[in-house]
Amino acid sequence: MIQKKICMLGGFAVGKTSLVRRFVSNVFSDQYQTTIGVTVEKKCVTVASQEIMMVLWDLYGEDEFQHVRDLYLRGSSGYIVVMDGTRKDTLQTALALQQTAANTVGPVPFVSIINKADMRSEWEIDEHVIEQLRDRSWTVLFGSAKLGQGVDELFLNLATQMVQRPPLSNTHP
Amino acid sequence: MSSPPLHPVPSENPLPDRVLSSLDIAVFERNGMTGEFHLQGRAPEWWCARCGSEPRTVLDLDLWSPFLKDYLIADDPARNAEASVVEKSGPWTETDGQGATMTFEATVLCIESRTILLVECLGTGFEQMRAIVQRARERVLAETIASKTQRKTETRLINQLEASERTKDDALALLQHLGLAALVLDERGRITFASDHGLELLGFSAEEAIGREWEEVFLIEEQDRVMLRELIEAPPNGRIVGPLCMRKPNPSWVELGIHHDPRHPDRRILVVTDRTELHTLRRVLNEQSSFHDLVGKSPAMLRVYQLVRDVASVDTTVLIEGETGTGKELIARAIHSVSERRNKPFIAANCAGLTDSLLTSQLFGHKRGAFTGAVNDQQGLFEAADGGTLFLDEIGDIPPPVQTALLRVLQEKEITRLGEARPRKVNVRVLAATHHNLSEDVVRGSFRADLLYRIRVARIQLPPLRERREDIPLLAQSFLVTVCTAAAKTVDSLKPDALHRLMSYVWPGNVRELRSAIEFAVISCKGREVSTDDLPPEIVGASAVPDLSASVPLPEHDEKTRLLAALADAKGNRTEAARRLGISRATFYRRLIELHIQPR
Ligand SMILES: Nc1nc2c(ncn2[C@@H]2O[C@H](COP(=O)(O)OP(=O)(O)OP(=O)(O)O)[C@@H](O)[C@H]2O)c(=O)[nH]1
Ligand SMILES: [Mg+2]
Repeated sequence: MIQKKICMLGGFAVGKTSLVRRFVSNVFSDQYQTTIGVTVEKKCVTVASQEIMMVLWDLYGEDEFQHVRDLYLRGSSGYIVVMDGTRKDTLQTALALQQTAANTVGPVPFVSIINKADMRSEWEIDEHVIEQLRDRSWTVLFGSAKLGQGVDELFLNLATQMVQRPPLSNTHP
Repeated sequence: MSSPPLHPVPSENPLPDRVLSSLDIAVFERNGMTGEFHLQGRAPEWWCARCGSEPRTVLDLDLWSPFLKDYLIADDPARNAEASVVEKSGPWTETDGQGATMTFEATVLCIESRTILLVECLGTGFEQMRAIVQRARERVLAETIASKTQRKTETRLINQLEASERTKDDALALLQHLGLAALVLDERGRITFASDHGLELLGFSAEEAIGREWEEVFLIEEQDRVMLRELIEAPPNGRIVGPLCMRKPNPSWVELGIHHDPRHPDRRILVVTDRTELHTLRRVLNEQSSFHDLVGKSPAMLRVYQLVRDVASVDTTVLIEGETGTGKELIARAIHSVSERRNKPFIAANCAGLTDSLLTSQLFGHKRGAFTGAVNDQQGLFEAADGGTLFLDEIGDIPPPVQTALLRVLQEKEITRLGEARPRKVNVRVLAATHHNLSEDVVRGSFRADLLYRIRVARIQLPPLRERREDIPLLAQSFLVTVCTAAAKTVDSLKPDALHRLMSYVWPGNVRELRSAIEFAVISCKGREVSTDDLPPEIVGASAVPDLSASVPLPEHDEKTRLLAALADAKGNRTEAARRLGISRATFYRRLIELHIQPR
């Protein structure tokens, strides 16, 4: 079975850990437990009749305390950029991290998600901005780790892209 | 290097081993041939816990997070060799069989071509660091939420403010457009808002009025102010007061609606309405149909009212002439109440049918013992009326000696009590009335000419009722109201035929007789309307004389019959008979004498 390294990128508290845990273990907690360092989880999926072992690197959130190290990104077959719809500043962090990832691992598939769709009325990221992201050929999905909405779709979307377009280099065995 | 030993190799130097192990650091060395990492020296506790029952010395990377493998296979195996900065792996978490997590950090060192791996289990220090970062991030999140809430509240308030500003502008525009004079008072009675028209009515600018207490800008009579204050301070329920006279900017009459502010029960909204025009119109109307207690709007009466106003302003003696029952005393009272003396006494005296001495003592007073029966010192009516007005009715009936005394009083402005020698100063305005033609009396020698001239400085002639028939409906209605109130009966009006009968009657007893007739009718009336049958028999029975000329006196024998009939009806009671005829008792007596009627 092929294994694919996937990094979860985004500002702190956007819901990276929550998305991974919802996807892998189908659990969610309202309690915030910030991630320091890296936790790696695995989940096997089948896309286009191919079984893939997704190796999910849940990285710590980017902020003034911790900057994501390029080292961690190496060997990724794809990555997920997470934003928190209720905090506009997480968009800037996402843009910067995507840039870093692109520079480090090259043009591998990635998907972005605006999380916390259950609090849509509180969202600060508006349609206009989302359109701008899509114009940059970002895949922008909406979801809620809390409700489990759009979570499987998120990971499967990336998995499909990775299967369809195997990266030229940096393939992680 | 030899093949890997099964058990950790005991170190030649046990102290550094012990140190590393107590720092929870496991030390491995890579076998250059197999590439496997072998545990060196003493193993820390966590290693044994992870390895389970069987202690191992080889690092099985498949049992570890891919993170560690990634770190170890990173392309430059010689890294950290000469580097001054040692690149550590950074922390990663491992989950044990029970689901508990541990955090590790690895460091690869190349020393003298040997590859050494240090794996440290991060403990308390790391947990403290994590707690600090956690708190800091939580704080940032809380602040984000707080500032967001604040921004939202701000936006909401701004929107609300804008909306209420708009509403206020609309309401204001409406107020101005309607020309409503409205004021808003805060809980302390200060003006917080005044519409343009309100300011105009008060005669103040917005700068002068806003923030001031209402009492400072409402320039009204003191008693009105007290009443208004009570109403404004009273528990809220809308009411309208007025009209009140406001002195500024021009004297005006206003009506005030006092309403409570529905949002603040302690605040008040005052709506001021200018009623000056209405008030003036009403006053003119009232003045025209009545004057003090005088009722009537016939041209003759309007002339009388004007005369009353004219003579009231000058402090002279006035002679009021008119037939019996025309209301001479009412004229005297009206003059008094319009004059400067209105707050001083008004005393009325009837001079008819009194003897010299009785009249003298009544007018001027007497000293004790001045005559039989004078048991006390007694002041006279002149003294009693000092500063005010003395009304002498039937002045034509004053006996000559008293005429002389009266003349002296009028000239000297002093009186002498009967039995006293010392004169007393008096300040009295004399109003006299008569139904006689005093000029004729002078010619006949029964009245002093000099007294007449002294009295008749000003002169008001009251028309008999038959000369102002158009006032009869007004008078009748006015009496109907007063009589009904006194008798607690409800009679609303007169039927047309009854009114017609009143209009065509000759009214020898004038207004007084009309009043008696209405009293009689109210008592007789069974319904709410007076019919002809309710009127006194002498009126019902009288032949209608619609165009009776004013000067035609009643035939003497007619009057004699009337007096006798009245006396018979009143069973000989002369006061009652006079009342029934609507004439004064004095007149009744006089007529009895003149017509040679000897009452039984
Ligand atoms: N309402 C809502 N809350 C969410 C959702 N996803 C995550 N959260 C909450 O957001 C907070 C942060 O979630 P995490 O999953 O720990 O975020 P993270 O990106 O891993 O954060 P770091 O590890 O600190 O970078 C937690 O309190 C979660 O319960 C969501 O979809 N809806
Ligand atoms: Mg996390």
